[in-house]
Amino acid sequence: MFTSSRQHFIAAALAIVVLAVAGVVIAGLFGAAAERVLTVFFISLIAVTGIGVYSGNSGILSFGHLAFMGIGAYVSGLLTLPAGLKMATLRGLPDWLAATELSLVPAIIVAVLVTAIIALLIGIAIGRLEGSAASIATLGLLVIVHGVIIGWRDVTRGAQSFFGVPRDTTLLVAAVACVIALIAARWYRDSLSGLRLRAGRENAIAAKAVGINVQRERLIAWVLSAAIMALSGALIAHFLGAFSPKKFYFHDTFLLLAMLIVGGMTTVTGAISGTILITVITEILRRFESGMSIGGFELPAVFGTTQIGIGLLILFAMFRMSEGVMGLKEWEERVFPYKPKRGKAEALAKRHSDDRLKVDHVAMQFGGLRAVDDVSIAVNPGEILGLIGPNGSGKTTLLNIISGVLKPTEGDVVLGDRSITGVAPEKIADYGIARTFQNIRLFPTLTVYQNVLAAALSTHGGKNAEERTGAALARLGIDERAGEDAGTLSYGEQRRVEIARALACEPTLLLLDEPAAGMNREETDDLIDRLKVLSADLGLGVVLVDHDLKLINELCDRIVVLNEGRLIADGAPAEIRENPAVIEAYLGPGKTA
Amino acid sequence: MNKLLISTLLASAMALPAAAETLRVGVATAQTGALAPFDTPVIDGIHIAVDEINAAGGIDGKIKIELLEKDVRSDAAQTSIATQELVDEGVSVIVLPCDADPSLAAIGVVTDAQIPAISTCASSPTLPQIGGDYMFANFPGDNVQATVSAKWAYDEGHRSAYIIYSPDTQYTTMPLYFAEVFEKLGGKMLGEDTHTIGQQDFSAIATRIAALDPQPDVIMTSTYEPDFPSMLKALRAAGVESQMIGSDGIDSPTTFSLGAVAEGLVFTTAGHPTEGSELEAFNKKFEEVNGEAPQTVFNAVGYDLVKVLEAAVIAADGSTDANTLRDAIANLENVQGATSTITYKGTNGMPLRSVSLIRVKDGERELIGQPTPDASLIPEPRVQ
Repeated sequence: MFTSSRQHFIAAALAIVVLAVAGVVIAGLFGAAAERVLTVFFISLIAVTGIGVYSGNSGILSFGHLAFMGIGAYVSGLLTLPAGLKMATLRGLPDWLAATELSLVPAIIVAVLVTAIIALLIGIAIGRLEGSAASIATLGLLVIVHGVIIGWRDVTRGAQSFFGVPRDTTLLVAAVACVIALIAARWYRDSLSGLRLRAGRENAIAAKAVGINVQRERLIAWVLSAAIMALSGALIAHFLGAFSPKKFYFHDTFLLLAMLIVGGMTTVTGAISGTILITVITEILRRFESGMSIGGFELPAVFGTTQIGIGLLILFAMFRMSEGVMGLKEWEERVFPYKPKRGKAEALAKRHSDDRLKVDHVAMQFGGLRAVDDVSIAVNPGEILGLIGPNGSGKTTLLNIISGVLKPTEGDVVLGDRSITGVAPEKIADYGIARTFQNIRLFPTLTVYQNVLAAALSTHGGKNAEERTGAALARLGIDERAGEDAGTLSYGEQRRVEIARALACEPTLLLLDEPAAGMNREETDDLIDRLKVLSADLGLGVVLVDHDLKLINELCDRIVVLNEGRLIADGAPAEIRENPAVIEAYLGPGKTA
Repeated sequence: MNKLLISTLLASAMALPAAAETLRVGVATAQTGALAPFDTPVIDGIHIAVDEINAAGGIDGKIKIELLEKDVRSDAAQTSIATQELVDEGVSVIVLPCDADPSLAAIGVVTDAQIPAISTCASSPTLPQIGGDYMFANFPGDNVQATVSAKWAYDEGHRSAYIIYSPDTQYTTMPLYFAEVFEKLGGKMLGEDTHTIGQQDFSAIATRIAALDPQPDVIMTSTYEPDFPSMLKALRAAGVESQMIGSDGIDSPTTFSLGAVAEGLVFTTAGHPTEGSELEAFNKKFEEVNGEAPQTVFNAVGYDLVKVLEAAVIAADGSTDANTLRDAIANLENVQGATSTITYKGTNGMPLRSVSLIRVKDGERELIGQPTPDASLIPEPRVQ
């Protein structure tokens, strides 16, 4: 499954191959030293790309990926080390391993697989952590793996040099591996999992609401990135011929992260640019480091110049271009703007459901606050229900309970005859319930099309996802803007994208949390018309929360009113307008006349 | 015609550096990191020797020495990279860091390139053993040092010993050689402890040793700074009064500035400036150049290294060809260095050099002796 323009991928892959070939040819002209610099560059680039696959797509900065590079290096090194040397220097090895002597490629394959399995186990363990907790956990991973390598003397020679590894990583081997890693990373970015993970990075809550299991996608990226790191580790091991655990610790973590951050974490273009930039600057500064004379003026040797230079570069990049020099888009996405195919509004068929939604004596307690207190309401199939009440009356909490974001402290939510209380938020969409949010929760750096497509792909098994996406965009009248980044749209348009995204989930019940907030009158009127048509055409039930009473009155078949967490009225719009309890709730006591 | 002229000029310009009498020496040493306390003084000594030789017109009055220096940050991988870069620059001989571990990382590179390499002050006999034909050391071997100190301890009447070592590097496992020799002599080993390099806290080990009854007569270790001072202080604080024996790694100003706690400490090292010795002359020269006396023998060890190179070039009839130099080094005999005479002939690359036993007395170095150990006592080198 590929979720973006195939042309983009082909352009990117071609460019990667051309760059690699050009690099090899040019380095060939400059001789052995240049070839070695380029080999190290390719190996670093594989590692930077590997970190990028996880950190870029998930938004969680990982400090721990060099642990996988280290595992790849030691595993592959153990497999290729000449048997005689193994007997002499690693006397604690089991016999079968001591006798094993593979050539480079099979050793790499084994190392990559072993690392992937280890990463899978670690990923399952730390995958539920979010944000900075996850970053710190990766730091712990780095320290632990470093400690294990040092402690496991029989296999790794501990803190001593692991030496004698055949130096088989030629420029060509590194170039081919680099091309494979870059293409895999580029492919992942626009794969089904990659799109979902990026959606999760942009907004985890919204991603769950459209059926995305962010943790699962994160685990996929984690394992893939660990495999790429192992490839890089195996190559550096067979390039250097000798290394120690230090090689896979803070110093190189800093260097590789610098490359990724300076270039731009979220793209392959960024990884390439950052690695080129830092490699060039390092090569220049390293020459200053051992001192030199410029025009008769002797510069003293200052060891450490390189680190200082890279530090300054990071500072500069963070101040000037906090997304990295290449920003958030691949080069091909900039050069060839993608216009997704227009869809037909009719592709979203009328869906009928006999399932009634029943909220049964639900209560939600937050510490001392009872945000929702014994509320029972029902939504009939195809009905547009208005949910109103003063600020803080529990409307959004109720929507969060229905959509699985919150688990009620008491009571039950039943759809048809199935209880959906406590169903995970990412599973609710497949029950036919989709929602929008009070504060717009789009995936701002994804295009409008990708915002909606991510939802379509993650619901109903992803069937007819492109048709559903096109139809949802057409229904909301935003297919003109499909190729643009959602975050660049006007407020009203963003609201419509959010509704389109919910619609692409093919819901039978749509929860709209203040869809008209921030819209002007014309936009609101347009929204009223569209929702009427949608409800009529698709047989869609709607729960509508809004403060705009014109919108509520014109659209709703029935209105329920909440005040201070309790249900105070339920009836047709005309009845509600006359209800003294409602008037009192809105205007305060004594104003009923 | 013009073209011919230009190409002739170019050809002669390119031929020039090769024809010029220069020995290009690649120096890949640890100017930063854990090994810097040893490699930086060695480099100072190398500079003194190179300046002295070049000022006199070069080796044999005609071959100047050119140093190409790189910092390897005490790291194995970086040593491999820096060595490769030096090979690319066409050096005839390579100087490697002070410890066997980073030096081992360069084996593949120097062997492939067939360029001889000498570690500044690595003392592990396993380095040339594993390193093959192109790897040389420039220091009395760990097994030799341990033999000297074990023999001294036994002759002093000490009969029981305890060792503390770190399996993190070859060098810090020297106490295992000590134990072997000490037992061979008839002494008794009371036990051993291991630690990691950079551990800093030695209170657990100190408590364990303090609880021994009877107390060991001697405690031997080859741990060096910053671990050694902490270890020594922890032992003394725990009430352990045993004779401490160390190795060349603690031949540094730090040891002599520890005060009372280091009094009576004995260690083996590469040399001592006795009256009229070469080392005394070197120290004078060092003071002339740098304005202060050397604080460690490692300055002189750097000087030794260049003297070895000088002798090898002379022995090779002025050749700077890497392979010719390798053979020349391997056959050197009795090269007069600042610390000792140095012989490679008949060894696998671990030179025969004298060992000096030093005692810390009143915060100064006192020479106990410069014994030549009995060859039958010296343990076989082995990878630990």
